[in-house]
Amino acid sequence: MTPLLWKDYQKEVPDNHYFFVRSCIRQTFFPGAEAALLDILRNSLGLDVFEDRRHTTCTGIAYHCDLVPLETIMTVIARQLSLMTEAGYRHLLVSCVTSFGIYLEMLDMWQHHPEMLEQTREALWKSTRRSFELPVALVHTSDLVYHLRKPIADRSPHRLVDKSTQRALRVVDHVGCHYAKIFPAGGFGGAEFPSVLSGLAETFGGEMVDYPERRHCCGFGFRHYLLQENRGYSLSNSRIKFESMEAFAPDLILTNCPGCNMFLDRWQYTLAEMSGKTYDREGKGIPVLSHEELAALMLGRDPWTLGLQMHQVQLEPLLDKIGIVYQARQKYSMLAGAASLPGEPSVLKVSFQ
Amino acid sequence: MNASEYLPKDEVAIIGGGPAGMQTALALSERGFSVRIYEQKEQLGGHLKGWHHLFPHGVAASDLLGQLKEQVLARAVPLHLGQSVDRLQKVGAGWVLWQGERPLGRAGVVVLANGFALFDARRKEEYGYGLYPSVLTAADLEAVFRKEQPWPFGSDRMAPQVGFVHCVGSRDLKCGSPHCSKLCCVTAVKQAMAVKSLFPEAQVYCFYMDLRMHGLEYEELYRKAQVDYGVRFIRGRLSEAAPGQGKRLHVKAEDTLQGRPLHLQLDMLVLMSGMVPAFLLEQQERAVFLKEPVFGSGFVPVQGLLAAGSVVQQEGLFASGACKGPATLPEVFADAAAVAREVEQYLKSLKAVAHA
Amino acid sequence: MASLLSQLKDDIRFSEGLSACMNCGICTAVCPAAAYFDYDPRRICQLVQTGDEQDLENLLKGEEIWMCGQCLSCKARCPRGNVPGYLIQALRKLSQQSGHFIHSREGRKQIRLKRRIGHSILETGYCVHPQMVEPETHPEQGPVWVWALEQGADLYRRCGSNYYGEGEGGLRKMAPGVLDELEAIFEETGGLRFWEAIERGAEELKLNTEP
Ligand SMILES: Cc1cc2nc3c(=O)[nH]c(=O)nc-3n(C[C@H](O)[C@H](O)[C@H](O)COP(=O)(O)OP(=O)(O)OC[C@H]3O[C@@H](n4cnc5c(N)ncnc54)[C@H](O)[C@@H]3O)c2cc1C
Ligand code: SF4
Ligand code: SF4
Repeated sequence: MTPLLWKDYQKEVPDNHYFFVRSCIRQTFFPGAEAALLDILRNSLGLDVFEDRRHTTCTGIAYHCDLVPLETIMTVIARQLSLMTEAGYRHLLVSCVTSFGIYLEMLDMWQHHPEMLEQTREALWKSTRRSFELPVALVHTSDLVYHLRKPIADRSPHRLVDKSTQRALRVVDHVGCHYAKIFPAGGFGGAEFPSVLSGLAETFGGEMVDYPERRHCCGFGFRHYLLQENRGYSLSNSRIKFESMEAFAPDLILTNCPGCNMFLDRWQYTLAEMSGKTYDREGKGIPVLSHEELAALMLGRDPWTLGLQMHQVQLEPLLDKIGIVYQARQKYSMLAGAASLPGEPSVLKVSFQ
Repeated sequence: MNASEYLPKDEVAIIGGGPAGMQTALALSERGFSVRIYEQKEQLGGHLKGWHHLFPHGVAASDLLGQLKEQVLARAVPLHLGQSVDRLQKVGAGWVLWQGERPLGRAGVVVLANGFALFDARRKEEYGYGLYPSVLTAADLEAVFRKEQPWPFGSDRMAPQVGFVHCVGSRDLKCGSPHCSKLCCVTAVKQAMAVKSLFPEAQVYCFYMDLRMHGLEYEELYRKAQVDYGVRFIRGRLSEAAPGQGKRLHVKAEDTLQGRPLHLQLDMLVLMSGMVPAFLLEQQERAVFLKEPVFGSGFVPVQGLLAAGSVVQQEGLFASGACKGPATLPEVFADAAAVAREVEQYLKSLKAVAHA
Repeated sequence: MASLLSQLKDDIRFSEGLSACMNCGICTAVCPAAAYFDYDPRRICQLVQTGDEQDLENLLKGEEIWMCGQCLSCKARCPRGNVPGYLIQALRKLSQQSGHFIHSREGRKQIRLKRRIGHSILETGYCVHPQMVEPETHPEQGPVWVWALEQGADLYRRCGSNYYGEGEGGLRKMAPGVLDELEAIFEETGGLRFWEAIERGAEELKLNTEP
């Protein structure tokens, strides 16, 4: 039966044995996030997560730019599933929210139009001599982190609490549109009140803030961001969100989609350059983290191995509040030794040591 | 010896003591039949108990209810209050009424008059009912008018911004209710005018898709709301309500006639929660179950055009009032008379067969 | 030649996207593109459901269908179960397939997108990767991005990435044979033919050089 209330949207997440597929955007902008996730799952929690180096983009970004026909993306997805099948897995773990939406959509179409599944099997066989089974579980990495939030919190030396005042840190979440707006039953909490991030933040002791434009899109817009002259669309939609959350003085923006994580970070810088305005009181911007980045920090991973220096809005104010000790001098040094420092924005305050 | 021999036995048992049940009971009792009402609540009245004043003339709901009850009392119709019927068992040509394992009574004919349920507005998640205190249903607002519930905004707000959302849980496949509840449009107009009377400075908006002013004098009421009360009608369905500044709500809709998105800050949002089936009729060979409705289940189905209330597939089972679908009180009363006539014909035909 | 409407109806995303619209405006109210552009998904649904061939052609030649940001916020909300975002996918496909896309400014941008994002898929196995995000054309990425690209492999490897290297991990170079498989899929399923349609439009515009 169709769930009646958002509270009824609970999804089944298997405890173990995953086939992992990466995200183009996540690995471009937040390479440390995927690495940290795998490290946590495999080494801290002892799970079996397998990756096949032959997997590729799902072509989702191009699909939503209308550059790839439906039959093509279906067959590319089928190829990923054939790698999963070949490796003996039936649980698919997806890093990207766009991809996650694509997988949900293809599985849904195959279910409702079995002839399309047959055509896809045929196309994949003809082009690659591959065959595939359907996954029994389709899990976004934020689903898995949410599912494992208690074991993670149990191992965590930190809480989302201001260490000096014991105030719970205020968290605003931004759940990627394709996480549950396309298929509400595919995500925790459904389309309107997804709990996948809020539940995580609350488990760590944070206070969730419900802000007016919580469900508004970050403004990626696919073609609109990718075309420089259309980028105002992305910027203005993110701005709608910042304006809406500003009054609540959030300590952290929490995301589960790599694109959103990047936009909500970078557009704060851009808006500061354009208008002189930042959305916090100190001119430093509101720190942005994704679910894996948050989980890794809470588990005591080194922020610079995690790649947090690749964020334009600095994370130090948040780290200081939580009481995470970090080596300031390590931030910009490389494996090969000391490196140059990034340039300084003209408005957004950054800290170099 | 069968235990059911000791049960009360009537010509007609009526399930539900709302407007439909009371009026059907009166009509049959006036025709000389023995009738008994089984009502699950401790009081008669059904949904009418919860209303303040009625469209289109503003008659006090309590006055109308008082009159109905008086007549039922005057005719000494036996009442079984606090008894909820969940199963009907066919025995011979008649019925035994059950509540769980307990038989309640026997009757030659059963009339279902157990009404409708209000759509559970929490299911329209994007409107935040149950989460945001300034989101009310139309039924809640009636309770506010009856002073059983406080206004959701402070007494310092002399000029509240108020929105009424039509079609909540009606005409909505996502909610499993494709039908139109047909009287929430006029209820919104009635309530909007009442809010304006109490707060003349208020700004009141009705978000509608089609204004279904089908009843006598409804269209006139609509015009009055525009001309005399300054209620603003916006053709567009609300997309979402979220917490706004202070205790206010931030709502989004499209003004479809202007073709542009609209954002408003409101002090109160009233959801015109529609009428949905109160129960699911499960019919078996010699038994009928009244069950919890499920997603997408419909109202009680009745036979073709000439029959007002004979339930499809069941001899001796009739339905009266809003259990067959959305209906106003005048319609319920007219329907009760028609159903009573049909029941009379049925009982007479049984007697004719018995005599032959 | 089959009518535009019948071609549109052949796209499954048309039937999944629009059965009957009641013009309630819920989709427009929640649409981030409607908040920014002169764009109204409800109006597009209404136009398409009238089924007028000339209206449809104008739509395919116009700017409006290119405004949707594909967030699919409309899918969660439509009380009739429509998905304007899917309808848009079907319209955009047809606009490119039929060549009408070159009549609009926004439509013509598909040529550039195809040569960038599309080609990247078959050349690298990724839709996007760091070196595509040139600082000159991405000023919004800020000084941190200039720095990150300068560090390149040093930085990425410190964060556990393979950064265009052989073997496993994030941003790895595709293993031998993988790109051939992708190309074979594009060939078999009409992906390459679709790109040819886009290039035919470009030729018509004499836009052979990178626009
Ligand atoms: C917000 C709102 C405002 C309205 N305002 C007006 C108005 O101003 N004017 C107007 O004409 N109409 C109005 N109506 C419509 C009016 O309320 C209905 O026409 C009327 O209540 C229908 O009467 P009913 O007896 O069929 O159903 P109900 O009023 O629902 O009564 C059904 C009765 O059956 C009982 N029952 C249910 N199941 C069982 C069971 N298994 N066993 C025993 N008893 C049972 C219930 O407890 C209830 O007492 C309004 C409706 C709404 C939603
Ligand atoms: S009566 Fe009006 S508000 Fe109620 S469902 Fe019908 S159209 Fe909507
Ligand atoms: S929400 Fe659905 S029914 Fe309403 S205007 Fe949009 S497509 Fe049409």
